[in-house]
Amino acid sequence: MSEKPESYEAAVERLEQIIDRLDSGQAGLRETLELCREGRELVTYCSAELDAVSEGLEELQLDELAARLEAAPSEG
Amino acid sequence: MELPGPFAVGRYAKTLRDELRKRARVQLIGEVTGLRHTQKQTYFELRDADGAVPCTIWANELAALDLPEGALRDGAEFVAGGGPDYFTGSATSSPAFSFRVTDLRLAGEGDLLARLEALRKQLRAEGLFELQRQLARPRLPKTIGVVTAESGAARRDLIAGLRRRGWAGTVVWAFAPVQDRRAAPAIAAAIQELAAAPAVEAIVVTRGGGSLADLWAFCDETLCRTVAMLRVPVISAVGHERDSTLIDDVAAVACSTPTHAAEAAVPLDCLAARGALTRSAAALQRVGEGAVEARSRHLVALARGPARALRRERATLNQKTREVRAASDRGLAERRAFQRRIASAVLARAARRAAGPEAQGRREALRRAEVAFRAHEPERTLERGYALAEDAAGEPVASAAAARGAGRVRLRFADGRVGARIDEDGSEG
Repeated sequence: MSEKPESYEAAVERLEQIIDRLDSGQAGLRETLELCREGRELVTYCSAELDAVSEGLEELQLDELAARLEAAPSEG
Repeated sequence: MELPGPFAVGRYAKTLRDELRKRARVQLIGEVTGLRHTQKQTYFELRDADGAVPCTIWANELAALDLPEGALRDGAEFVAGGGPDYFTGSATSSPAFSFRVTDLRLAGEGDLLARLEALRKQLRAEGLFELQRQLARPRLPKTIGVVTAESGAARRDLIAGLRRRGWAGTVVWAFAPVQDRRAAPAIAAAIQELAAAPAVEAIVVTRGGGSLADLWAFCDETLCRTVAMLRVPVISAVGHERDSTLIDDVAAVACSTPTHAAEAAVPLDCLAARGALTRSAAALQRVGEGAVEARSRHLVALARGPARALRRERATLNQKTREVRAASDRGLAERRAFQRRIASAVLARAARRAAGPEAQGRREALRRAEVAFRAHEPERTLERGYALAEDAAGEPVASAAAARGAGRVRLRFADGRVGARIDEDGSEG
């Protein structure tokens, strides 16, 4: 998994699949190591997503959001 | 075809008025707009999404109804009883159609519910209840938009609900009036503006409880059609009773309180998710380390492997060597027998010629026979520069396979023998 996951839920879903597969004991050595690497990347991504909504609730008015978007038109 | 007439227009107008007055008297329900009073009469329109009717009521009749102070105003829902009428005008005044109102009352809960039910049925039939529900809702949005009154408990309750979830992203407020029918266009505009912001991943529309008339803006047909068509999920939390307003039907999720709306807007409990993620990371760590150990064991097994494999290969090789040697010996014996047969035949033929009547002729024949015989001796071949490979026992080594099997050979040239070692096993190019 080198690509960024589509969303937090997609990442969590894939992570659950990986852990289920590993728990099944059916993965060979090469697959196990590959799944562990992918799993660690997903954990890092999910952790960053959670961090992004943990830094203090911000309240904006609609026009403040609009001003912010105008300042950074490439965003979104 | 020739039409009847021409008739005098004033008389025709009166006939028209009389026809209209014969129509059954009924009650109409709708929103009051364009209200204006004159000394004699009060004028307004009753309107809904499909159309409107101009209404008039005599000032004295209106006063006799004793409506609550300020109840008759633009935006209010009213039930008007009466029938159609036509003011025929005169030489100097314009004619006008109107619904002549003789009874007028504020629409009650029952009237509103009946209207709401009809509208609900229509929107459901158009499939508008399904659109928002089919949208994917992010479990962990970073930005949510909220439409609510600037002052009100709903705002506070929503923030408290978000905090309880451990969520601390960005809330974008779009404040709008949320009371009665006239608020609908402002609410719709606020929702649309939020939906236009790319960062906004979900929109909460909320206000506290009230009568159905108070919440009537959230039953507005235009507002509900707007919500249904949005590509951003809308979470409604209007009033305290489920399914009382139409926006609940068209929204992606309908909630009973702002606290529930917070949970619907951020479905993921961030605190619980953090714990689950830590457990996942630990499980991966454990499995990863276990796999490395397993790999080490596997590598050790592989390291022991070559010795075993070599032994096995050597045994196979020895067996093959024996088989090859046996085969080559058989071949050699056959070839020698063949050579002996050829030599005998040549000698016999020479002897027959030598037994001729003339002695000179016999000697000549014998000499030729000797030459022919010598041509078949291996030494002659060696004299021409060929060499014969022999094994330790002096037996010819007649094939490459036999040579590999023997390992060491002796090369017999015309002038003597030399030892040689077979030190490659590749096929010759």
